[in-house]
Amino acid sequence: MSTSSETMPKEPVIKCESVYKIFGENADKMLRAANGNVDAAKFQEAGCVVGVNNASFEVYKGEMLVVMGLSGSGKSTLLRCISRLTETTAGNIHIDGQDLLAMNNKQLIELRRNKMGMVFQSFALLPHKTVLENIAFPLQIKGISTRDAMKRAMDMVELVSLDGRQNYFPRQLSGGQQQRVGIARSLAVEPDIWFLDEPFSALDPLIRKEMQDEFMRLQGVLNKTILFVTHDFAEALRLADRIAIMKDGVIEQIDTPANIVLNPATEYVSKFTEEVPREKVLKIKSVMDPITDGIDFSDLTISGDAIIETVAEAVLAQTKPVRVIDENNNIIGSLHSDKMIHILFGKDDNAQAGA
Amino acid sequence: MKLKNTLSAAAIGLASIGSHAMAADSAEPIVIPTHNWSSQVVMAYVIGGIFESLGDTVEYVPADSQAVYEAIRIGDVTISHEVWQSTFGASFYNAMAKGGIIDAGTHSAATLEEMGVPQYVIDDNLCPGLPNWEALKNCPEVFATADSEGKGRWLEGPQSWHGDLMPIRLEALGLGDLYTVKFAGGADAIWAELASAKKEGRGIITFNWTPNFTDAEGFAFIEFPAYTDGCRVADGGDGACGSPKGWLKKAANYKFPKTHPAAYSAFSKLDFSSTDIGQMAALVDIDGMSHQDAAAKWLADHEDVWKPFVE
Amino acid sequence: MHRRVPDMGTNFFTKHRKLSQFVILLIAFFALVILVKPNEANVLWRFPSLLASLPGIINDFAENLMFNWFPIQVYDPHIEEYEEVALLREVTRGFSRGVLFMIEFIREVLIGGVKTIVAFTSWEFVRENPWAAWPALPWTVVSGGAVILGYALNGRNLALLAGAATVYISVFGQWHPAMETLSFVLVAAPVSVLLGLLFGILSYKSHAVEVALAPFLNIAQTMPHFSYLVPVTVFFGLGDHAGAIATIIFATPPMIRLTLLGLKKVPVEVVEAGLMNGSNDKQILFKVLVPTARRDILIGVNQVIMQCLAMAVIASFIGAKGLGFNLLLALNQLRIGQALELGICIVLIAVVLDKLSLAYANKQTDYFADLSFAQRHKYALVFAVFFVGCIAVALLGQLIFQDGINYLYLIPHNKGITTELFWQSGVDWMVDNWYAGLQGFNRGLIVNVLQPMKNAYLAMPVSATFLLVMGTGCIIGGIRSALIVGGLLLFIALTEWWDRALITMYMASFSVIISVTFGLIVGSICAQYTFASKAALLACDTLQTFPSFIYLIPVIMLFGVTDTSVLIAVIIYATIPAVRYTIEGIRNVPPSLKEAGMMSGATAFQRWVKIDLPLAFPHIMLGVNQTVIFALFMVIIGAMIGTDDLGQYILKALSDKQGIGNGLMLGLCVAFIGLAVDHLINTWAAQRKNALGLS
Repeated sequence: MSTSSETMPKEPVIKCESVYKIFGENADKMLRAANGNVDAAKFQEAGCVVGVNNASFEVYKGEMLVVMGLSGSGKSTLLRCISRLTETTAGNIHIDGQDLLAMNNKQLIELRRNKMGMVFQSFALLPHKTVLENIAFPLQIKGISTRDAMKRAMDMVELVSLDGRQNYFPRQLSGGQQQRVGIARSLAVEPDIWFLDEPFSALDPLIRKEMQDEFMRLQGVLNKTILFVTHDFAEALRLADRIAIMKDGVIEQIDTPANIVLNPATEYVSKFTEEVPREKVLKIKSVMDPITDGIDFSDLTISGDAIIETVAEAVLAQTKPVRVIDENNNIIGSLHSDKMIHILFGKDDNAQAGA
Repeated sequence: MKLKNTLSAAAIGLASIGSHAMAADSAEPIVIPTHNWSSQVVMAYVIGGIFESLGDTVEYVPADSQAVYEAIRIGDVTISHEVWQSTFGASFYNAMAKGGIIDAGTHSAATLEEMGVPQYVIDDNLCPGLPNWEALKNCPEVFATADSEGKGRWLEGPQSWHGDLMPIRLEALGLGDLYTVKFAGGADAIWAELASAKKEGRGIITFNWTPNFTDAEGFAFIEFPAYTDGCRVADGGDGACGSPKGWLKKAANYKFPKTHPAAYSAFSKLDFSSTDIGQMAALVDIDGMSHQDAAAKWLADHEDVWKPFVE
Repeated sequence: MHRRVPDMGTNFFTKHRKLSQFVILLIAFFALVILVKPNEANVLWRFPSLLASLPGIINDFAENLMFNWFPIQVYDPHIEEYEEVALLREVTRGFSRGVLFMIEFIREVLIGGVKTIVAFTSWEFVRENPWAAWPALPWTVVSGGAVILGYALNGRNLALLAGAATVYISVFGQWHPAMETLSFVLVAAPVSVLLGLLFGILSYKSHAVEVALAPFLNIAQTMPHFSYLVPVTVFFGLGDHAGAIATIIFATPPMIRLTLLGLKKVPVEVVEAGLMNGSNDKQILFKVLVPTARRDILIGVNQVIMQCLAMAVIASFIGAKGLGFNLLLALNQLRIGQALELGICIVLIAVVLDKLSLAYANKQTDYFADLSFAQRHKYALVFAVFFVGCIAVALLGQLIFQDGINYLYLIPHNKGITTELFWQSGVDWMVDNWYAGLQGFNRGLIVNVLQPMKNAYLAMPVSATFLLVMGTGCIIGGIRSALIVGGLLLFIALTEWWDRALITMYMASFSVIISVTFGLIVGSICAQYTFASKAALLACDTLQTFPSFIYLIPVIMLFGVTDTSVLIAVIIYATIPAVRYTIEGIRNVPPSLKEAGMMSGATAFQRWVKIDLPLAFPHIMLGVNQTVIFALFMVIIGAMIGTDDLGQYILKALSDKQGIGNGLMLGLCVAFIGLAVDHLINTWAAQRKNALGLS
């Protein structure tokens, strides 16, 4: 578990309980008959497609949950259930303790206008509006005066570094720039919850990396509660506080990146983790040992947020365990070179590292 | 209801002749239709000018010359001042049978609507013996066209004008093997053919009428066996006869005598001769004036003709 | 792939299943043609006219509806009597008055009049108060207004275009009729756009509406406008409003189509983005869906404007004043030059309105320019100054041109400059020099091609026609298609007009063959060059609005009142979509595929045959479809030259006793021919699209 767990409030921002989404005419009836035990193949025969199958999880304030899965795994459907772009077939979803599925249209609109922002894979910009107008759109929808909306939108343009291009039309921008607009638009109303549906999938690898950096920089500043959908495992590892891996509508495993890499719960998950060079994706804090009394630390101090690869050589040069600190210079753990060797080379023994 | 309307219309028509002086004309505009040939448009403005001299308001509305009778009947249009017997007689009587339209008298202009040839066909002796119809027997090839399969061709007006009158006449005169009838789509198609033929100096037989702007350039109507009552197939004859001298009527909506008694009185007295109509058309077609200007000029120059109508 | 090789050559019939089916069908067809002898009593030769009484029934129904049923007592003050008037007629006439008021209001703002004042007072008031008339605006004000509007919306080029167009119209002495036409278009076009949007949106929201509307759209788009002129006059009267209503019937269907198409193309994610921004239903519709679909919707607006002006001439048959009526008048005097100048006015109005509406839709706002009142309203202020200035100039003109024409106020109709003599001598020259040479061609074409073809069509037994058409339907789209096209044809076969319909089909099919061949070749060549493509598309736009009546006359002068003339007019018009869709189709072929073709060493011709045409095929088929519709339309207008097909009867219906019923039934016959072809082509194109993986 992430070290921030102590600071988390009790009440989750997003809470899903046994969420089902089944497409097809007799979905309701079939689901009732199945009594919670949904077999995708059987439903398919009856002309139903199972989108989400018994999903339960919680997302806490300031946390980023990345939902990872291949196409058709139901990840985007899950996201659409939680944003209520699609109606959930069964289950409960609570946003800030409010029952999302019980809301009427008016309440839903209020919720979206004030608490939610969403970024789309295909950017979903309005082609007839300029960058500035696109970003101001949610503000104008809310009824904010044009003058104020444009002022606020201009701030957002600067936030995503598009100044000078505010009067361009989407078609005049590159994919990366268009997605910056999408991000700025989703943030214009200062939402608490931020949904991102494969936001970088349509971009070139170099731009994608750049956008991920940009995204992390923004999240560092804004600290939103985030539900991020991707099919890119590396991206999930890079960004997530926790990852939910989905297959055929079922959440196979939900855990921290380190635990997933080091301790895949199912065969399906391990297919993703096998090829992952863990030193390149894991952070020190995900592999460090807790502090026990009387450790004889070396002089080296490393950041818990450092990627293993970047500090491995330095740690290996120490004979004593090194201190691991957080951004406030508090010691949060220790790491011994033996363990480092094990992480770097001992891929066969997952159990020990995960413990 | 239809019958009632027709009867009351007739009654009003009769009554108004004696009583028009008592009531003033309504301020509502009198709607005069304009069709797509010059004399009619000029005459529309001439009649409009006459009505205006009585203090009436006039409005002109473009209308198809066949569809206008239905419009008069319903009351969208007030009058029609050129009801040609052979081309519009059918439409006029169809509308009259339904009620709502009245016969407002006849011009003294004698009209003739008949097949004929441009004057140069006679002058150049392209078909010796014309305009007597017998001459046609000897020279069908002079009037042959690309699509007539070697026969001579009669270019008839649209079928809506007189149905199969001409094909029947051809057969009845024994010309069926020598000539064929082609229905043109409209008057402008006939004029285009005439103009083209004139340039080439080639023979052409076409439907035409007088008074018309073609009178100025010279047009000779073929002299068919004289028309007698009952000579047409529809009337029980064999159809081997020419057209009668036709009438040129005026029509009006049945309310017109009541709403505009003074104007109706003038309209019912209104009577143009072939000369008058020829003059009106010539101002436009020969002198190149605009229709309004032509009408104004005609009204100014011929007060002796029209003043009596309004007295 | 490897394993399939042995199967490839096994059986010609399985490989070319459809082709062999079609060959068998043709054999059966010709067998029937030979076996069934002409005999009116033989059902295999001609079906009995079971529907012969239907026009009368429709007619009686309409007449009763308008004149007899639900009578109400209405007092007519002019004849001081109560009259019985059918309720529906009062309703439609009320509607007519509303439309007419709008047209006249705009008209009187432009060229003055009293009707608007009358609408609020009475004719008596106007007669007693001669001052109560609205004065015409000086033409310079309207022209200047158009320039300023053009500049405000899209800068210098549009301002120049608007200025040139209005000056042309004024200087050529067509101001008065042009403003009459404009006022009627300014009502018909917005109403068509709004109705189109409304029904487009309703169809998008409700599948039931879409399904229910489809047949009406199909019929409205394929029915010749001549055929509903009489019903429109009976229901709505005669006048500008009737012209406007006929125009709206004609112009709205493509707008509905394109609105629906555009809305359906809006990506789901864009709508979701709108929802996630908290849009309510109304905001989703008007701020997300409609603006995002704007590309297609604007094409719809363009089509509406084109259709409205294309109707300018036809609308004058039922009372629309303006350029169209004057054009017919000029043609009847054989003043082709004048007609041409009028035609150019119509095209110019279409182009300027189209560009202005497009520029308005694409207008951008600058939110941060901190503007003063004067800056924000600079165009309005410039216009106000201009307005006052022009009126002053017009008053000055009154002093300068005493007695004569005040050129600075209004140039009266046909008193401007004219190039008539030039065009007239051009036409004369053409006839003088070409007529003799073309006669051989004309005669050869008629004797060797047209008449045999027409006779062949007429010699087809009805059973053979049905076999061929339904068989083709079955091969292309299965039993359902066969039933649809069979049903459409059956309607025609049961009327009295089957022979007439065969003649219409002969003329339409001849022109379609020529137009499509020509369109494919010209379109393909133009598509290779950007400039040529643009020029060709511009020519298409112009020809589409340019009144066809004008070129009917020179064509008649060259080819006489013959089928040749009709077919030339039809081919000129029907080639427009063939060229347009070919260019669009080929230019939309992905460049990568063209490059692949070039790299594999294909010659230009091979690339055209193997890559361009097959890939552009579905789009080209839409063009062929449009070509058929355009051809049918023009064949009907060809009745104005002189034909003996359905068109002649539609024209005749204008004066028939059963005008409403005959007109509508004949119109339906034409529409059903169009719909049958439309169905076959669309089904086939959809299959090809699937096969190519383009759908």
